[in-house]
Amino acid sequence: MTDRLVPPTSHLSEAERQCAADGTLGDDDRAAVTRHLAECDECAADVARLRAFIVRAQERTAAPGDLDDLWPAIRARIEEGKVIALEARGAAAASTTRRAPRVRGQWWLLAGAVAAAAILAITLHRPPRQTAASAGQPPAPAGTVQRGGRAIVQVSDSARAYQQQISALLEELELRRSMLQPQTAATVDHDLRLIDSAIVELQEALKHDPDNAALRQLLAASYRQKRDLLRSLDNAS
Amino acid sequence: MIAPTSGLAARTVTANGVAPSDDVVRRAQQGDVGAFESLYRTYAPTIHALARRMVGDEREAREVVQDIFVRAWERLASFRGESTLGTWLHRLAVNVVLETLRSARRDANRFTDDDVAAEPISGPTSDARLDARMDIDAALARLPAGARTVFVLHDIEGYSHEEIATITGLAPGTARAQLWRARRRLMRLLDA
Repeated sequence: MTDRLVPPTSHLSEAERQCAADGTLGDDDRAAVTRHLAECDECAADVARLRAFIVRAQERTAAPGDLDDLWPAIRARIEEGKVIALEARGAAAASTTRRAPRVRGQWWLLAGAVAAAAILAITLHRPPRQTAASAGQPPAPAGTVQRGGRAIVQVSDSARAYQQQISALLEELELRRSMLQPQTAATVDHDLRLIDSAIVELQEALKHDPDNAALRQLLAASYRQKRDLLRSLDNAS
Repeated sequence: MIAPTSGLAARTVTANGVAPSDDVVRRAQQGDVGAFESLYRTYAPTIHALARRMVGDEREAREVVQDIFVRAWERLASFRGESTLGTWLHRLAVNVVLETLRSARRDANRFTDDDVAAEPISGPTSDARLDARMDIDAALARLPAGARTVFVLHDIEGYSHEEIATITGLAPGTARAQLWRARRRLMRLLDA
């Protein structure tokens, strides 16, 4: 407040009352307003009421509602958008050595899927063709660094990006299904089921152990396998 | 005398008064969801109270709280420790709430002179009638979003007019006028 707004025969302005109440009066005005408040009961009472209201607003505390039930939804959104780190880093890396992945016993699914994908890729080998679906790459490795003598992929793969690509490729597959030889279609469907089973199991395991970097790596690998399988089929058709 | 920008403490204090350890913050920054959950449990009550007051609706506030913590997770790596985590989170929360209010366009007259401004600034009210009060949260919910935001940021959270102007895009003078009118309106609502 810099304007002098306190004529001796009138009340304080709204600005002066408010600033007097919340303590934001400027130095130039403070003495005159204080003097007026000492002489004017009406203004003094109003400033006191304003001040009491402000204090009340500042001092009140909200009833602490139960916020625990919000966490699962937040956690789910975090996991949904979570970057799947190919690199086991920091504490996560340390914990990986202590914790065994909780996928139960069906590692052959992944191995089978890998083999199937490789076989299919060889069987259907043709010069690769760029398609709209295959053009959209997930974050590509930006480079590698040597850490402890081991090359570590620096960047991360996004589950969501893979799922988007897979969705597009699956749509493409359905469009082309009638053009596939029955045996090829059956093989592809079988391999996709294997990979999907592995993905579901890994996702389930991650629900119980979400910080397990090894599981996340495997999940990322499974997504890649599925994408690559579909992509190879798309390229071959 | 009421300190003009006394909200710094309010912005940094956690629900239980105990700030998380640097180790917890660091682990959360490195992607440890368990550590982040610990931060959530530390700060959620304060953030919820802020959102509840600014949004004026419990259901919507709880949705905004989720948005705030998801955003915090996404940006936690950018926290450099130049302020306390509570202050950083508080500012992020204010921004998320304002984005929500803006995008939802919940009020037709958000940060302009609205129906609060259209009312004459009232004179003194009675102490006796002020005692018959309704809950401030309920009264806040009846304010237009713009006035509610300015009031919450200034009188409850302790932001200065200049900070509010920066956050909301209002001119400082406009923010002041909205604040004063919001106070009068709230006093009348509580008086009813």
